[in-house]
Amino acid sequence: MAAILLDVGHVTKRFGAFVAVNDVTFDVREGEVLGIAGPNGSGKSTLFNILTGIPFGRDAGEIHFRGQSVGRLKPFEIARLGLVRTFQKDSDFKTLSAFENVMMGTWCCGPISASQKRDLASAALDKVGFALERIHLTAGDLSVFDRKRLMIASALVSSPHLLMLDEPASGLTKPEIDALRDLLLELNASGLTIVVIEHVLPLLMAVAQRLIVLNEGRILSQGDPQAVVRDERVISAYLGGQASHAHAS
Amino acid sequence: MADIIVSILVSGLVLGSLYALMASGLSMVWTTLGIFNFAHGVSMTVGAYVAYEIAQRLGPDLWVGYSILLALVVMAAVGAAFEYLLIRPFYGRDDMVLVTIMTTLAGLTFLENGVLTIWGPRLKQLEPLIPGNISYGLVNISRQELIIVLVAPVILLALFLVLNHTQIGRAIRAVGQNQKSAQLIGIPVTRMFLVSFGLAAALAGLAGMLLAGVRLMTPTMGADPLMKALIVVIFGGLGSIGGSIGAAYVIGFLEAILIFTVGIYWTPSMLFLLMVLVLLFRPQGLFGAKNPSSL
Amino acid sequence: MINRPLAIAAALLLLLLLPLVLQGPYIRHLFILAFLFAIVAASWDLTLGLTGLFNFGHIAFFGLGVYTAGILTTQAGVDPWLVIPIAGIVAALAAFVVAAPTLRLRGIYVVLVTFAFSQLCLQVVMSQGDLTGGAGGIVRVPSLRISDYNFARDQRLGYYYVSLVLSLACIAALVAIARSPLGKTARAVRDNPEYAAARGIDQMRIRLTMLVISAIPTGIAGALYCIYFRVAAPEVFSFSTSTLILTMLLVGGAGSIVGPAVAAVGIVMISEYLEQFPDLKATKHMLLAVGIILVLRFFPGGLAQISANLFARSAKTVGATPERAP
Ligand SMILES: Nc1ncnc2c1ncn2[C@@H]1O[C@H](COP(=O)(O)OP(=O)(O)OP(=O)(O)O)[C@@H](O)[C@H]1O
Ligand SMILES: [Mg+2]
Repeated sequence: MAAILLDVGHVTKRFGAFVAVNDVTFDVREGEVLGIAGPNGSGKSTLFNILTGIPFGRDAGEIHFRGQSVGRLKPFEIARLGLVRTFQKDSDFKTLSAFENVMMGTWCCGPISASQKRDLASAALDKVGFALERIHLTAGDLSVFDRKRLMIASALVSSPHLLMLDEPASGLTKPEIDALRDLLLELNASGLTIVVIEHVLPLLMAVAQRLIVLNEGRILSQGDPQAVVRDERVISAYLGGQASHAHAS
Repeated sequence: MADIIVSILVSGLVLGSLYALMASGLSMVWTTLGIFNFAHGVSMTVGAYVAYEIAQRLGPDLWVGYSILLALVVMAAVGAAFEYLLIRPFYGRDDMVLVTIMTTLAGLTFLENGVLTIWGPRLKQLEPLIPGNISYGLVNISRQELIIVLVAPVILLALFLVLNHTQIGRAIRAVGQNQKSAQLIGIPVTRMFLVSFGLAAALAGLAGMLLAGVRLMTPTMGADPLMKALIVVIFGGLGSIGGSIGAAYVIGFLEAILIFTVGIYWTPSMLFLLMVLVLLFRPQGLFGAKNPSSL
Repeated sequence: MINRPLAIAAALLLLLLLPLVLQGPYIRHLFILAFLFAIVAASWDLTLGLTGLFNFGHIAFFGLGVYTAGILTTQAGVDPWLVIPIAGIVAALAAFVVAAPTLRLRGIYVVLVTFAFSQLCLQVVMSQGDLTGGAGGIVRVPSLRISDYNFARDQRLGYYYVSLVLSLACIAALVAIARSPLGKTARAVRDNPEYAAARGIDQMRIRLTMLVISAIPTGIAGALYCIYFRVAAPEVFSFSTSTLILTMLLVGGAGSIVGPAVAAVGIVMISEYLEQFPDLKATKHMLLAVGIILVLRFFPGGLAQISANLFARSAKTVGATPERAP
């Protein structure tokens, strides 16, 4: 079995009396794609937040990344260890150009020369299929798909050990989702470990080798994706919250 | 020794009461609107001068209390006008916090110099509500100061009751907690902005009018209290009116003690140092909630 | 079509030759002031505009520069030339001091602490009368000289060039920093702090660096201001000075560095013109305040935005197809 890259033990996050992430334990193994699903508000993004410390840390639990405890590190230090995430909401440096946006990812690269940084940024843009003629446009003026790709490219620049994507497909069209799927498969084939939160089940089923379903802050079910989606508890959890995300299946 | 302690206590109480009147308005505007009103200190100045002007017009025979009442009404209107001109146009901009800091700073400059233009730089004084001093044992206090000490808690209690137990107060607090939801349940959000600015200006104005019965008035008389109110809200945590009021009295006493121990020159530096220490260890303020204010 | 490098070269040449046309100490005095304030406005813009650091105590760095020069020259006999770089260092040290409590804070608390710091400086200056002259300030600060030549001679020709050169050097340095990877990272932190953290950017470090960098030219400008006027007075810490510079920053366009510097020239002219009428002193400040509000309301991008549109339009018309308005 592959080595454990990220080891999460009993993490909990409360907002006042409300427990958004409740005693969650799982691990991520080197080289895999782990999918995370769950109804709206089940704590998926909050889980990412506490793993990366952005914008807040956990209330309880242990997090080890590549054998090192990250619980006391600052968010930027966690990123520099090679645990890099994207955000669910559209995120960009809106006054910087597309290329400069990706260059910001090079802060995780360690001490390398400026020209090496530029090469890495170009390579990352190329990998995500960002059109060369748009790299000097201001990020704020780009389309949703372009901005999503920028966010992934800026994460890839530093060749992270673990890429965590929060709903990368939301707001994308069908062909864009297909392109995204191919990108994720390709990245994984080249050895990158990925954790992806997604409501778009076909995408998740196509890329994930393991699946975790969260509900009300707890892990409801985990394991082989095909088995997980047939799990009674998962089906009823989704049916319970059906109205709010009819697109999920 | 005992007389020194008593006089420190008395002057701390007077200062604390003044700061509480100032800081509560500042804090209320911050919680409801998310705006830090730099012109809050100058509201105090304007209040004092308006009361002075009204008193001049009404003549010396009439008790100054009436002028103060009238001036409070004027101040509420000034506060509302201020909101309408300097805050409302910028409402909803994503850099609103920063922009309104600058517009309220501009408002401060405008009003301070307006006062200077209208009333000139010469020192003025407002009649105290009741003249004379009171001596009781070791306590020696002017009647006006006694009024300040007594009136401030009453006003603050009234503010507390209004905010917590009246419909308009609940509406203001609802707006403070979540503007969008407040709008959805039918609270006239924009009117609440006017109301809280009006109320805050009247509170600051009152502090100015009371102070003007003890000290001489100058166009810059609001600067120092604003500064103290800043320190108070940092200590108390901006988001909580109760915390600010508590902090106001703490700072009042602290200042009285410091003036006695290290002298008037070093007091501001010591207060600043204390503020820095508080911020280093409790960025959310001494009495503030756990989450530091984010924008 | 407007060619940017050419326009800059022409402007520089004009500034260099201006004294040939502008005879008379008063008009040169206006330009000297403008150059000095241009430094302060542009460097404040580095933190407030470019980094999005809510620094409202920038004036403290200027005031500290003024008093460093005043105290060192009159009480320690330090050469006025030497005092100029020292003031930059002192201001940078002060920036470290302010940074300690502020960097962990966010938003409004940064405003409060930086603002309180500037007020504290004023109070310390007022209270340490032995050193600072209290409310009266420090007088008879020695003038800049090279051997026997006093720079105030020849209708202030020397001061004109010293302040011009310092101003150009500082602004060029600030622009270079703004365009460097550091400057871009500062903008990234301003645009989206959480995303920046997720990309391994140490915001505290960026903010600290920018705050210290912005303090240096400001302290230098303060020292020259003191030596030029030959006094150090507590008014430099005042609210009105802050408002004046804030107006320059906003009119010029926050975050553009050059914009505030250019605006400084115009605003100093207007402000000093009004200064001639002592009765209008208060009115002047009221006008500045109204100016701030109008700019924020109607031209939030300031001059920089207007000029960017101008350059953009002229660049577009070069292309074959003039774009149609949407
Ligand atoms: N900063 C916060 N303060 C208070 N409550 C929060 C905060 N962040 C999240 N929550 C609450 O925690 C719960 C989990 O939110 P989270 O964003 O993790 O859900 P999610 O699974 O990502 O949902 P979605 O599919 O809609 O993205 C929600 O009920 C949310 O309202
Ligand atoms: Mg989410």
